[in-house]
Amino acid sequence: MTHPILPAPFADLAPLAAHWARPSENERSEIRWSASPAEFKALYEAMMPRLDDILRLLSDHPASGMPEEVHDLFLLACAFAEASPHHELYGGSSAVPYSFDARRFVRTDGDAAL
Amino acid sequence: MMTTGITAEDLAHISRSSEDIRAELGVDPVSVRAISDPAIYELEREKIFRKTWLKVATSWELPNVGDYKVKELPVADASVLIVRGKDGQIRAFHNVCTHRGNKVVPTTGFETFGRSRANVVTCRFHGWVFSTDGPLRSVPMKEKFGKLDTACLGLREIHCDIWEGFVFINFDAEPAQSLTEYLGDFGKLFGGYPYAESTTAFRYSTVLNCNWKVAHYAFSEGYHVPTIHAGSLPGFKGVDHTDFKLMGPHASSTIYGAGMDTAPSTLAFASMLSTTERHRPRPDQLPPAINPERRADFQFELPNLFPNFIIHLASGCGYPGMSFFTHQFWPLDHGRTLWEGINYFRPAQTAAEQVAQQHVNALHRNAWLEDTATMEDTFTGIMSGSIDEMQLMDQEFLIRHAARTLDTFLAA
Ligand code: FES
Ligand SMILES: [Fe+2]
Repeated sequence: MTHPILPAPFADLAPLAAHWARPSENERSEIRWSASPAEFKALYEAMMPRLDDILRLLSDHPASGMPEEVHDLFLLACAFAEASPHHELYGGSSAVPYSFDARRFVRTDGDAAL
Repeated sequence: MMTTGITAEDLAHISRSSEDIRAELGVDPVSVRAISDPAIYELEREKIFRKTWLKVATSWELPNVGDYKVKELPVADASVLIVRGKDGQIRAFHNVCTHRGNKVVPTTGFETFGRSRANVVTCRFHGWVFSTDGPLRSVPMKEKFGKLDTACLGLREIHCDIWEGFVFINFDAEPAQSLTEYLGDFGKLFGGYPYAESTTAFRYSTVLNCNWKVAHYAFSEGYHVPTIHAGSLPGFKGVDHTDFKLMGPHASSTIYGAGMDTAPSTLAFASMLSTTERHRPRPDQLPPAINPERRADFQFELPNLFPNFIIHLASGCGYPGMSFFTHQFWPLDHGRTLWEGINYFRPAQTAAEQVAQQHVNALHRNAWLEDTATMEDTFTGIMSGSIDEMQLMDQEFLIRHAARTLDTFLAA
């Protein structure tokens, strides 16, 4: 996304949100599949120390109908939720090691945008 | 919560020790011919998929009057319309127009969802209109047919019944057993859990170049966990696959385990779920005969609902916040299978809970990517003709039992 809007305490995460935050799982997967170990590391090092703060803020908002000013932070958190195992468990690999081709796995519920 | 009134003692007769299993099912290797021989697949279509009860939907997928789902089932040469009628009842029909056979509801892919607000479905070919409860309602230029018995030209109904919100169909003109009879003790073992509360579903599917039983069997044992899942479930401690149960054509077992070395992000996400009433582990909601001692290391139940459905009941005890997950294996032909995996959660209340569910879903999806990685290679290996049989250990008894059940149905 070109100009993400983030709550003030997280405004510095805007470049990461611009790269990673997308409304659907399929779009986020496309980004994740092309990410390098360094990109996973940069995302992880920026997000992990602040994850509790981000989740605390998101806890104050309903899952559906959250205000616009937290929506991009929510999408960035979703991207991190899906990306963190690649740094923590898969050695920075964009694919799950010894796995089936993730591109052949279809999200079949229409992949509703969040 | 337990509305079935079934106690663990009532189901004592289904439980088996490893020794019982060895005595009852044998210890010999099992032939792979049922996997490799295309002629057996033709028999399976006729004697299993056209005779047994098959899960095709859930009632909470179709919450409103007029909601429908079309499921393509090449194994039965069928396109099936499952629809909630005006009276609130869910029925199943062949998605076939009685005029000349066109699909009434056009489809894309293997599953198509929609809603008929007017409680009718209209064939696009010549405009015949059917009520969502089946009857033919109107025919354009009806007076131009020399003969037309509209009363007999409703959609062709398929036997359909519901257990715990899971919708099953049976293609047999006169099923030998009702759904309740067919499920038997399985229905009692798994009954009573509030499945319908877990309406948040993450659904995946893929087409695998393997026989359906290769895919099914790969998800039917805990033996592979420490090896295949070394990447996504690192340091998984003490998988204890036990509490074996046999129930006619169905079987079940339990995965206990001391959990895994939880990564820091997983810990943070999990705490969003484990601290809430809706998503926390709920061993108290498990049916009484599943984890009867209410062991704290319960992960999930691992059954086989013959022929092709698995409900992994976790009640939030295994993957954080996960209520249950299901697998289904639909043959497309002898060597091609549609696999469907669905993770079910109770709906997230807050945005933080939703992110946490996204994380848990991703971890589990990634484990499935490890599982599915073996299937095409396994089938290719079997088709090479270089092995005639599978060697099965105690924790692979679900495979032994399913293979034996299959033989019984094919011999009938
Ligand atoms: S085939 Fe359906 S209206 Fe003619
Ligand atoms: Fe597995």
